[in-house]
Amino acid sequence: MTGFLLRRVLGAVVTLLAISVIVYVVFYVTPGNVAQITCGPRCSPEQVDQVAQQLRLDDPLYVRYWHFLEGLVAGQDYSTGTSVEHCSAPCLGLSYQSDQQVTQLILNKLPVSLSLVFGAMVLWLILGVGTGVLSAWRRGRLSERLLTGVTLAGVATPVFVIGLVLMIVVCGQLQLLPFPQYVNLTDDPEQWAWNLLLPWLSLALIEAAAFARLTRASMLETLADDHIRTFRAYGVGERSVIGRHALRGALAPVIALNANNFGSAVGGAVLTETLFGLPGIGQELVHAVNVVDLPVVVGMVLVIGFFVVLANAVADVLYAVADRRVVLA
Amino acid sequence: MSEALVAVETPGAAVPGVSGAGQFWRRLRAQRAAMVAAGVVALLVLVALAAPLLTALEGQDPNTYHSSLVDSARGGVPIGSLGGISGDHWLGVEPQTGRDLFARLVYGARVSLGVALAATIVQVLIGVVVGVSAALGSRWVDQLLSRFTDVIVALPLMIMSLALLAIVPSSFPRPVLVALVIGLIGWGTIAKIVRAQTLTLKQLDHVAAARLSGWGTWRIARRELLPGIAAPIITYAALLVPSNISAEAALSFLGVGVKPPTPSWGQMLTAADVWYQAAPQYLLLPAGALFLTVLALTVLGDGVRTALDPRAASRLRVGTGRKREAKA
Amino acid sequence: MRQPSVIARRVAAASVSLVLAAGAAACGPEDNDAKSSGGDSTPHKGGTLTVLNSEPQTDFDPARLYTSGGGNVPSLVFRTLTTRNRESGAAGAKVVPDLATDTGRPNKDATVWTYTLKKGLKYEDGTAITSADIKYGIERSFAPELSGGAPYLRDWLVGAADYQGPYKDKGGLDAIETPDDRTIVFHLNKPEGEFPFLATQTQFAPVPKAKDTGTKYEEHPVSSGPYKVVKNENDGETVLLERNTHWSASTDAERKAYPDKIDVRSGLDASVINQRLSASQGADSAAVTTDTNLGPAELAKVTGDKELAARVGTGHFGYTNYIAFNPTVKPFNNVKVRQAISYAIDRSSVVNAAGGSSLAEAATTFLPNQKSFGYEPYDLFPAGDSGNAAKAKELLKEAGYPNGLTVTLTHNNAQNFKTSPEIATAIQDALKKAGITVKLQGLEDNNYSDTVHNVKTEPGFFLSAWGADWPSGGPFLAPIFDGRQIVKDGANFNSGLLNDKSVNAEIDAINKLTDLDAAAKRWGALDKKIGEQALTVPLFHPVYKRLVGKDIKNVVISDWTGVLDISQVAVK
Repeated sequence: MTGFLLRRVLGAVVTLLAISVIVYVVFYVTPGNVAQITCGPRCSPEQVDQVAQQLRLDDPLYVRYWHFLEGLVAGQDYSTGTSVEHCSAPCLGLSYQSDQQVTQLILNKLPVSLSLVFGAMVLWLILGVGTGVLSAWRRGRLSERLLTGVTLAGVATPVFVIGLVLMIVVCGQLQLLPFPQYVNLTDDPEQWAWNLLLPWLSLALIEAAAFARLTRASMLETLADDHIRTFRAYGVGERSVIGRHALRGALAPVIALNANNFGSAVGGAVLTETLFGLPGIGQELVHAVNVVDLPVVVGMVLVIGFFVVLANAVADVLYAVADRRVVLA
Repeated sequence: MSEALVAVETPGAAVPGVSGAGQFWRRLRAQRAAMVAAGVVALLVLVALAAPLLTALEGQDPNTYHSSLVDSARGGVPIGSLGGISGDHWLGVEPQTGRDLFARLVYGARVSLGVALAATIVQVLIGVVVGVSAALGSRWVDQLLSRFTDVIVALPLMIMSLALLAIVPSSFPRPVLVALVIGLIGWGTIAKIVRAQTLTLKQLDHVAAARLSGWGTWRIARRELLPGIAAPIITYAALLVPSNISAEAALSFLGVGVKPPTPSWGQMLTAADVWYQAAPQYLLLPAGALFLTVLALTVLGDGVRTALDPRAASRLRVGTGRKREAKA
Repeated sequence: MRQPSVIARRVAAASVSLVLAAGAAACGPEDNDAKSSGGDSTPHKGGTLTVLNSEPQTDFDPARLYTSGGGNVPSLVFRTLTTRNRESGAAGAKVVPDLATDTGRPNKDATVWTYTLKKGLKYEDGTAITSADIKYGIERSFAPELSGGAPYLRDWLVGAADYQGPYKDKGGLDAIETPDDRTIVFHLNKPEGEFPFLATQTQFAPVPKAKDTGTKYEEHPVSSGPYKVVKNENDGETVLLERNTHWSASTDAERKAYPDKIDVRSGLDASVINQRLSASQGADSAAVTTDTNLGPAELAKVTGDKELAARVGTGHFGYTNYIAFNPTVKPFNNVKVRQAISYAIDRSSVVNAAGGSSLAEAATTFLPNQKSFGYEPYDLFPAGDSGNAAKAKELLKEAGYPNGLTVTLTHNNAQNFKTSPEIATAIQDALKKAGITVKLQGLEDNNYSDTVHNVKTEPGFFLSAWGADWPSGGPFLAPIFDGRQIVKDGANFNSGLLNDKSVNAEIDAINKLTDLDAAAKRWGALDKKIGEQALTVPLFHPVYKRLVGKDIKNVVISDWTGVLDISQVAVK
């Protein structure tokens, strides 16, 4: 077990470092005069030079990357003009645009993204696994076809269409819910949930189809297994067969897919966050990409990568619990 | 293809004496839904290919402006009922520009289907090569490739696309670029599936036998493994195509999709969502087309998989590469 | 150039306004009577005004903001030497005193400007505002740590070109003198009759040196206006303003400050902002937006609904969208080719692409169609509504292209309705009729700015736009057509690379005038004269339409900003 953990952690660190290198290189060659963007469109060449110097943009790529690693391990000092402040390790640097510490920025944004993704995950599991079970049970009948159609509509429609139409109808015309506006969970849990309901639903509708297909496929397989036939032969009720035995067999792949999707949704729910105005990681990241705010981009991508890696590790453990034949190696 | 299909039959499932391809077609034809879906897919492809012909028949083209058909003072909403549907404009016209919607829809099918299919092919190719190599290679090769796959999976697709699309010079043909970018970034999951499946198959008797009899790795991969991973790949690819169409739409939404005036369904959806109240058909047309495509592809994918291997078909799982006991 | 507002179409994250503070805000009811008939329309104090915005109020530091006339939300916190007149229409394009007793006293050739502060001016902590604080505020705007803002101070103040701000350069700027606590004198390196306009920008707000925290100042800037910053989260994403009890209406004739609190929420999708304003539920009934216009789709819906239509305000901001030519690139070095394109342009389809006749007015002049700019109507290459293809073909023939020609039009990929694909495709379609085949070259936002604003990479034929830093011909014409403003190794806006001695001389002559009406007339005449060279094809001037929540009262829209003035709005 210790060996497994150690290897996992080491693997995660290597993965994250590789990601940071890729991002550095990709954004190094991305067009866009960072100093001019930071300074403003009407800055003179001299001012732009001063800003470039200030942001150390003239250093070669490897020096800048080394500086980044240094900050991660040892923290870094920076000047506000009137005083010198310290950004303690692990310091991801300062935003070119806002001069905020990237670590602080992430801490501000992460709760929003996690709120969105956790809630949506509950919904997509309920919707996805639910329809999957139902359609395996009702295989080939009209109700299965309908369910398949509904979940596929989710895949087929981009979130900005589903979300906007939902908002116009539910919030604007029927006035059942307020227009979503993020409220901190710690401030008001009830409002937090009400405001996030539509974003959760929109994101869940998009993810649910894959779970429905997967659950259905796995269940059908398990249902065809010999031991299920045996249960049936012994007169175990259909509900019990479906609910207890077949579903259990379908759990493992669902867990794996869920880990995958959870991880990537932490930063990948860009469109959902943008549409609903949720100030999360994804929205911030797209903004940072547009203004070539490298420290923010690297920091955010690393956080997302961290969650993907973490989610996969959790999945492996859950996987082992769900399926005792698996040995953590 | 027929060779692959013969070999897909897992031990005990094959019916002796009947050719694999024949069996496959027989099983596929037996599924009415799959046949209908195949018809729809064929029709869509046909429409995309025949776009110039169809628009010539209508007497329109996708890029000509008709300022007189929209109400400029009201934001450019189409004049006339149902979004300006008429004998000249079968599905009405686009708000603001008055461009013909039928023409844009059928031309859009070319880009959307083309980009999605091309991206899917890229994803499947890379995914299969990486997945199979990881499963069959030495421990180091496996570690390296699996780590690499992890990195790709962990990089946010949208963000990397934004950056990559900005780097490449604008003279590069955009639809090809969009397909490549989606393909190059989105192969991680399929590589994981293939690796997991290959690991499972590796332990099966007939593969083990082949190994013992001294077949080369390449030959084993081609003759014994590829057929076994075909079913899950087809299933997953059927889901990849629609999600790639969505990815193209999302890139359009972020402003880095296919370039105007080239129409694509994604671009139409992006432009149309705000028109949902004022000109609903503008949104409903591309949305409907996309839905139909996704539905048809999924049903067809299911059908093909069932026909390939009715019993083992659903065994395949999206795994993380853990060794699982083969249940066959 | 200050970018105006977000148009309510999906700009999403793809386009990012580089501009830090949109002074631009929205609208006012077109039909004030319709509202007043409903009940008590007199504004009262109290309540909370909600501001729903697309772009965050980033860099809330007077040194860093780039505003026209002090901006909208910033102007509630930062008072400046002068400010814009808070009245509807053309009267709102005037400059009036704010902290100062008048709009400035020039010497004979307008190179020295003297201001006297009003008595009894205080910060939010009750301490007195002095002229030294204004000097310090301007000095810190030169610090590279606090980059941003307009270029004028650096260009105009004596010896300011290399000044690096008070953090690095303790000596300070000698061009600004403060003989006593209430007097401040500016020494300029050339005559500038429009200095009072410049003094409306936030860099002229006082900053107490003792409270300066450098780059962190934006988290809590010290207020001199009617409201103080209580909360500023995530670089302007959520900003909460409450009354500054030390502000006194008796020293401030411009700001009404009716609401008790102002709650700014940003990062919202443009179409969602308009949906919320139209639904006007709960707090949204007392909401406005200072950066989001109605888009064409929303306009189509709103015009069909009387109640909504009554809540739409219309405004005009000095802004021109145009085609720019680089005459050093073939075939645009031939004036006949430029003229042919001018004749061939189909303004009605361009206007439609920009949102239709309610959101854009066809333009044939470079200067915006407002009196304060010195607007003088002219149409040198009459193209009519839909283009004069015959005349264009004739000119092309004379230019040596009897069989038409193929050109590349560079545009921005961001969907901003200004330099965006929609406009480019409309032009592509129109020029086809005149035998000109247009290939489109779309560039990503940053790449576009880098490419077109660099003399080394500037394409021959591209979409561009220019907005007013203040309502006058000077900041509109000079950066684009003054030969001495061509920047060789940085951001250049003189895309026509025009360096005409007579134009330069006329710009200098007008800058000497302190009679702004007389100056306006001459700007108008100069615009027409430059227009003859066909270095640009003016396309359209945008019209701003904005919704307000149903409880909003006292909507004032000036021609300076074209949008509702947040300092005048009441929610009760």
